[in-house]
Amino acid sequence: MATKYMDYRPGFAQVDPDDPIHGELMEVNIGPQHPATHGVLRLAVDLDGETMVKVVPDLGFLHRGKEKACEGLGWAKFFPHTDRLDYVQPLINNVAYAMSLEKLADMEIPQRAQEIRVLLMEISRIAAHLIYLGTSSIDLGAITMFFNTFKERENIYSILDAYTGHRMNNTYVRIGGVYADVDEKVEGMMREFLDQFPARVDEFEKMLTGNRIWYDRNREVGVLTPDQARAWSLTGPNLRGSGVEWDLRKNEPYCGYETYDFDIPIGTVGDCYDRYMVRVEEMRQSCRIARQALDRLAHTKGQDVLAEDRRYVLPPRGKVMESMEELIHQFKIVTDLRLPKGEAYACVEAAKGELGFFAVSDGTASPVRLHIRAPGLMNVQAIPLLAEGRLLSDVVAIIGSLDFVMGEVDR
Amino acid sequence: MVIVKRKELSLSERLYLPEIFRGMSMTFRAMFKPAVTRQYPEEPLPTDEVTRGQPRLATNDEDGSIRCVSCGLCEAACPAYAITIDGQDTDRNAITIAGDVTEKFIEREPKEFEIDMLRCILCGFCEEACPKDAIFMSDELELADFTRKDLIYGLDKLKRPVSTLRPRIDYIYKVNERWQASSSTR
Ligand code: SF4
Ligand code: SF4
Repeated sequence: MATKYMDYRPGFAQVDPDDPIHGELMEVNIGPQHPATHGVLRLAVDLDGETMVKVVPDLGFLHRGKEKACEGLGWAKFFPHTDRLDYVQPLINNVAYAMSLEKLADMEIPQRAQEIRVLLMEISRIAAHLIYLGTSSIDLGAITMFFNTFKERENIYSILDAYTGHRMNNTYVRIGGVYADVDEKVEGMMREFLDQFPARVDEFEKMLTGNRIWYDRNREVGVLTPDQARAWSLTGPNLRGSGVEWDLRKNEPYCGYETYDFDIPIGTVGDCYDRYMVRVEEMRQSCRIARQALDRLAHTKGQDVLAEDRRYVLPPRGKVMESMEELIHQFKIVTDLRLPKGEAYACVEAAKGELGFFAVSDGTASPVRLHIRAPGLMNVQAIPLLAEGRLLSDVVAIIGSLDFVMGEVDR
Repeated sequence: MVIVKRKELSLSERLYLPEIFRGMSMTFRAMFKPAVTRQYPEEPLPTDEVTRGQPRLATNDEDGSIRCVSCGLCEAACPAYAITIDGQDTDRNAITIAGDVTEKFIEREPKEFEIDMLRCILCGFCEEACPKDAIFMSDELELADFTRKDLIYGLDKLKRPVSTLRPRIDYIYKVNERWQASSSTR
């Protein structure tokens, strides 16, 4: 079979034209049931020897029709579904969705709710990056890292369990704020966690950053130039790893991020190693932001965490029992929560990039259209770009470093 | 903005052998640290009032009557369509939340109240929606059975005396205390 080969870029693996079987392509499926594909992603790979000449990601194995589901469910009942998009950072998804609805409804969010949201988002970001670190390193053989990061993540889940009652899929953000206040116990747990966490990050770095295997398998692998990253609309750590300074928390602040003091880490080369370093640094910065948010929470004690708006927010529990009007509000909001006609797009900087919800309302209780701009989809698109022309074993490092969760890619 | 460092390997890191010993010593030290794993069925996870376990229906302590009036609000709030309610009239005296028996009027109660535990995602929306303090998330988390049918819980499996749900009820009231500063619409 005669095959036209791509132009190989410098630094990439070369095929050996003298090899007797050169030109006989072998088709290999990676996934959909493979631990290294982080979910149910299938890569159809054409191999010449050990060089990948063509990589085609095959998506849709986890398609659950989330966007369509919202049209049937209505606004409020979609919250649990957002948890299950990128299931390693449910609270960030909750906030992003709530923000788009609040934009549509033109609501003011109480100060304390904003601070709690920031706190929860940063904690979730740490949890998501820990998953990245654990899974991408176990793919490359560093099993100890996996256990260490998951142990740390377990601490985060204990905190979320104490706050929301669930370890995953928390659903604790509502239109207008968050469901419950952060009490002393949770605050104490958070502080305890944040105090010991930077030391743990140093420990992770000690295990990986100078590790010869990690170094050799990530350096100069999967180099993404800034232009390519922009052209493929990559966001988040993947974009920043290529040296583009773009972070929605700085560039288009929401939830009062402009008032927090933090730095955004960027890389220089744009290879897997840079993306790794960017994420490690981001964990430290998230820790910083979370601490500041905790300090601010001490000043807003006792304030509301849900906006007072009887159109969209359930009335206080005690009053529902006593007052007819509140009971009517309760019924109205549960059965028929209408948002004004219009459209709104709200986006947050999730752990994997820009996560946005575009909601179109015709004034009824369910959306005409809800579009989810999931960063994972763009990250998957970059696999062929980075993997073609390289050796088969590099694809594992590339998938790991691009960091996506199929739950939001297929949605 | 911080530009992340690109570390170059030192000689010992490049040789890799010393690194193996460093790694081994790390592993060795870990042997003497307390275990972080849990022997699950023997050592269950601790639960408290914050835990959102399976929803349960509260019954009054006095006469064992069910608090639910089959208004259907939880059914409407359930994102997983897990709840099915069939209501009927009763001739029992309505009991207010304070517990005093009031004048007799027709109270409703569910003839059938089913929660499909295979669908339930333990989100707690039913609890939030209920205007009669009748459905609450319990701390019962374990869920296993042999047939699908057994996991569709009817009234018999859902009823719990309100006293056993008391910590959760208090917690929910605490969480839902909002807008203290504002005047009520009453
Ligand atoms: S449990 Fe509550 S919300 Fe559900 S039907 Fe009964 S009274 Fe209504
Ligand atoms: S907890 Fe959620 S899913 Fe389960 S019955 Fe209640 S509303 Fe439905």
